[in-house]
Amino acid sequence: MAYAYLFKYIIIGDTGVGKSCLLLQFTDKRFQPVHDLTIGVEFGARMITIDGKQIKLQIWDTAGQESFRSITRSYYRGAAGALLVYDITRRDTFNHLTTWLEDARQHSNSNMVIMLIGNKSDLESRREVKKEEGEAFAREHGLIFMETSAKTASNVEEAFINTAKEIYEKIQEGVFDINNEANGIKIGPQHPTTNSTLPGSQGGQQAGGGCC
Amino acid sequence: MLTRVKSAVASLMGGMMAGGSGEHPGGSDLPLRFPYSRPEFLGLSPDEVECSADHVARPILIVKETKRLPWATGYAEVINAGKSTLNEDQACCEVLVVKRRSAGTSTPNRRRSSLPNGEGLGLRDELDGSGDLTFHYWALFDGHAGSGAAVMASRLLHHHVALHLQEVMDILCTPGLQPPTCLGEEPINHLTPTSQRALTRAASLRGAAGAPGAPGSPSTPPTRFFTEKRVSHESLVVGAIENAFKDMDVQIEREKAAYNISGGCTAMVVLYLLGKLYVGNAGDSRAIIVRGGDVTPMSAEFTPESERQRLQFLAYMQPHLLGNEFTHLEFPRRVQRKEVGKRMLYRDFTMSGWAYKTVEDDDLKFPLIYGEGKKARVLATIGVTRGLGDHNLKVHDSNIYIKPFLSCCPEVKVYPLAQYEHGADDVLVLGTDGLWDVLSNQEVAEAVGGFLANCDPDDQHRYTMAAQDLVMRARGVLKDRGWRISNDRLGSGDDISVYIIPLVHGNKHN
Repeated sequence: MAYAYLFKYIIIGDTGVGKSCLLLQFTDKRFQPVHDLTIGVEFGARMITIDGKQIKLQIWDTAGQESFRSITRSYYRGAAGALLVYDITRRDTFNHLTTWLEDARQHSNSNMVIMLIGNKSDLESRREVKKEEGEAFAREHGLIFMETSAKTASNVEEAFINTAKEIYEKIQEGVFDINNEANGIKIGPQHPTTNSTLPGSQGGQQAGGGCC
Repeated sequence: MLTRVKSAVASLMGGMMAGGSGEHPGGSDLPLRFPYSRPEFLGLSPDEVECSADHVARPILIVKETKRLPWATGYAEVINAGKSTLNEDQACCEVLVVKRRSAGTSTPNRRRSSLPNGEGLGLRDELDGSGDLTFHYWALFDGHAGSGAAVMASRLLHHHVALHLQEVMDILCTPGLQPPTCLGEEPINHLTPTSQRALTRAASLRGAAGAPGAPGSPSTPPTRFFTEKRVSHESLVVGAIENAFKDMDVQIEREKAAYNISGGCTAMVVLYLLGKLYVGNAGDSRAIIVRGGDVTPMSAEFTPESERQRLQFLAYMQPHLLGNEFTHLEFPRRVQRKEVGKRMLYRDFTMSGWAYKTVEDDDLKFPLIYGEGKKARVLATIGVTRGLGDHNLKVHDSNIYIKPFLSCCPEVKVYPLAQYEHGADDVLVLGTDGLWDVLSNQEVAEAVGGFLANCDPDDQHRYTMAAQDLVMRARGVLKDRGWRISNDRLGSGDDISVYIIPLVHGNKHN
């Protein structure tokens, strides 16, 4: 499908905070209470509209476990946005945010927009991290912040779309060099013919389309 | 490989390559035989395929939780660092059930008319009818100059294997039955091998000496007066694999008339059949067995250097294949005109060592085989000497075809899996050259062994995670000066695909 821009996102955070569930809720509008452990990287994609323009979000969902950290780190590069997720019912996942943020700052491009997400807001009775703490952390580190629930879908759309809006604004301000693919932004195919460099694009049902 | 081919050819001919035209060597108006995708068993959506082709972050793809491979085989792959738009490696993994051909369709020629198209062959019927032959199949293909041949081979080669196994399944399924030399004749099983050999030998000698006088003696029982080779079941399977490769290559050539099937590919297959593993290799992928930490190579690479003598001999016998542009002789470097008349080191197809010859004008031609290691090329064009496809590949700006020098014939090695006890950490590792270019057999064995030792032996994902770890070690991490692996060595910028096949499954059932 035609799009004006493609933004690449990465979702990071401790294991079990609900990264894969947030992605599934956003792309498929459903919740899967028992989700298998992500042991590498998984992908999702969805089209959104900002300022009347079609924007394709390409979302990389990563493994949160410490043992996969070096692999996850290698995926920061070329992301325009990151969702840094913690679980409001597990204090340790909030405490680890600094480490995640250091990783992200070190391995991504400096303009990457980071959205801090306190997930599982539906579990109010088990809350261990106050909303104010999340807000304070975000303010201190220059992040956007939201609390979400992948289960009830509360704020899930907003989290993904607000991140895109921020990226879109940065493009308008000229902060992002949109011609450098390492920034995680691609301009959509303007004319149908631009696909012709892709081997075999004559096949009609060509899978994937003209990426990279 | 294409970029390297381009630059090598450009430097040879001193000409300019038209940018980007190499992906479609002719036939680009024809429809694709199969659309480009990633291996079927990964079950990727078009969006996921698009994500996977990221040359900046180079995501390592693994088998999803919901899509387990037979034997809990681990698989991981990563795209190249930008040398081609698409990942030109392909893979296939299947468990196939070969059913007996129904009596009415058993004429040998009928099979030819219904060559595999990937559908409706009735080979995968899981019905448990007695006497069906089940085999496991893992395959890797490494494409070059386009992805068409690799995609097609990944979709169809196993059907060719199944068809050839079907022809001999009655014999394979009868343990102890000596494959009859001629189908339909009574096998000669009434003599022990040694006495038979002694007798027939004596008889044939006698026959040669006194045949004219022998026609009488009608009371003698019909005895065969010639030696007969004993062919094993194992070599019937080897033959089936070899002929499957040949048929696949012929099918690619034939269907090029109607479809756009770009490029060529290496092919490596592993079959598990009746207690044995068969590793067939045509190209520069590699398979090793790691058992108790020890490495057993299960393949050898076919490269311009390893096949030099075969190629030189062919060029010597068929000099027209060189188009008057190349010499079949090898010299340590290009010969210069001022050296004509001098004595220079060379070697011919008859030699593995070197000698001196007087340089002639003919020796100034470009050598058939040139370059060292990964840069070695046949006809300054291709760095791998066995595989499928490449029927249209020519030396740049010439009418010299490469295909006659390429062989589609695999070398098949057999591993009697059921004869050994295997632990959970004993594995067969298959990888395309992207892996082996940067990691040695020993490094791979240590990496896999070390990784598996730290995994729960009952974890179904351990081989998948080990494969991911191995690809990560070969890909490395993108630093300021490119992709780097341990000890700041250069990581592989090639497509990398890896299977880790646990051998412990061979202990069961057999």
